[in-house]
Amino acid sequence: MIESRPQLPHRSGAPSGLERPALDEARALIESQGLRFEPEFDDLAGLYQDGQLVACGARAGYVLKMIAIAPELQGTDALGELVTGLIRSAFAAGHDTVFLFTRPRNAASFQALNFRLLAADGQAVLLEQGPGLEAYLAAAAPGITEGRNGAAVINGNPFTLGHLHLVREAARRVDRLYLFVVREDRSAFPFQVRFRLAQEATAGIGNVTVLDTSRYAVSAGTFPAYFLKGAGQAAAAQMGIDLDLFARRIAPRFHIACRFVGREPLCPTTAAYNRAMAELLPAQGVQVAELPRIDAGGAPISATRVRAAFVAGDIGTLRTLVPPTTLDFLLSPSARPIVERLRAKMEEA
Amino acid sequence: MFIRCKASAGTIQSSDLMVMVEPGDSLLIEIESTVKKQYEHLIRARIHATLELLEVRTGTIRVSDRGALDYAIAARVETAVRRASGE
Repeated sequence: MIESRPQLPHRSGAPSGLERPALDEARALIESQGLRFEPEFDDLAGLYQDGQLVACGARAGYVLKMIAIAPELQGTDALGELVTGLIRSAFAAGHDTVFLFTRPRNAASFQALNFRLLAADGQAVLLEQGPGLEAYLAAAAPGITEGRNGAAVINGNPFTLGHLHLVREAARRVDRLYLFVVREDRSAFPFQVRFRLAQEATAGIGNVTVLDTSRYAVSAGTFPAYFLKGAGQAAAAQMGIDLDLFARRIAPRFHIACRFVGREPLCPTTAAYNRAMAELLPAQGVQVAELPRIDAGGAPISATRVRAAFVAGDIGTLRTLVPPTTLDFLLSPSARPIVERLRAKMEEA
Repeated sequence: MFIRCKASAGTIQSSDLMVMVEPGDSLLIEIESTVKKQYEHLIRARIHATLELLEVRTGTIRVSDRGALDYAIAARVETAVRRASGE
């Protein structure tokens, strides 16, 4: 049996032949298959034959990765056995849907295990199994209106006057603006807070709908490097996947004709993502509009500046950077644990 | 029988199926299958019959099937439900 940390009481299936392999053995097998060994995972499963590790794979949250099968077992059901163990482990940890990146030539082997193709970018394809994208789109369907709609994807960590400006400008140019807030919880402000602040700040704009990106934009599944600033190579392929998914699977369902972004003068990852957008989306029928940032005190407004002023307790500056809804939250007792976390992180850096 | 917690049974190896069940307010059956086009209606009918026999009225039942025969479907569904009922 492989290890798992169940959220709900969970009983899994019959004992399988899977074991947790030794790290060095797993690493050797993964690298022998031309894959990069990444030490971040929640679970690692292996299949032994005559004392030899012949198949292994890992799970990080809802993402299955580093799946490697020894050449003599490729094309056998070793893959099915391994993936069964990883899906069980994901299910026990509360993930109904699992993601998997692989090379295009391996896609068919996973499709035979009921994985569905989500997106492709030259060197890599993204597949999923579980209720997944269709369930997400079905849940969003009641809020979808026809017309020439637009989209903006923000992290909103936290929501600033810059975000508000972007939303107002974008909303003026389309029938309905879908504001997608990144679901991934890897930022100082938790998703629930980021989502609520986006809703509160835009409540007065009639044609804006705030939505959760789920796993389907700028997530650990589509674009993990976004959360590891400075990850160059991998980031490029991931942006391609993330944008292919947006253009082909999301935009058509929401009648999105244009994606809006703020010009990015500071963060190199976001700037590269904006460039990739301008390069890839128009070919798939989605225009990209880059809107200028607004300034406060002689510099562009950014969430980074907001977090610095927040940690410094500089309320005068905060007032010039965020809407009153965000300011109210920052001054409330519920924001205290966030400022503590930010302070600890800044001292660490 | 009542689905009280999450449980699973089976595998996604060839000729088998994996069944995942969890509590829910209504009965929801979702089927993924490599032979979905040809056999979804038969797979669904067999799951329904098995649930009826076990007197399961609510819950989410998700199936990932790789061409399992009908007695395998019944056995895997029953096992997952028994595990989920805490028996």
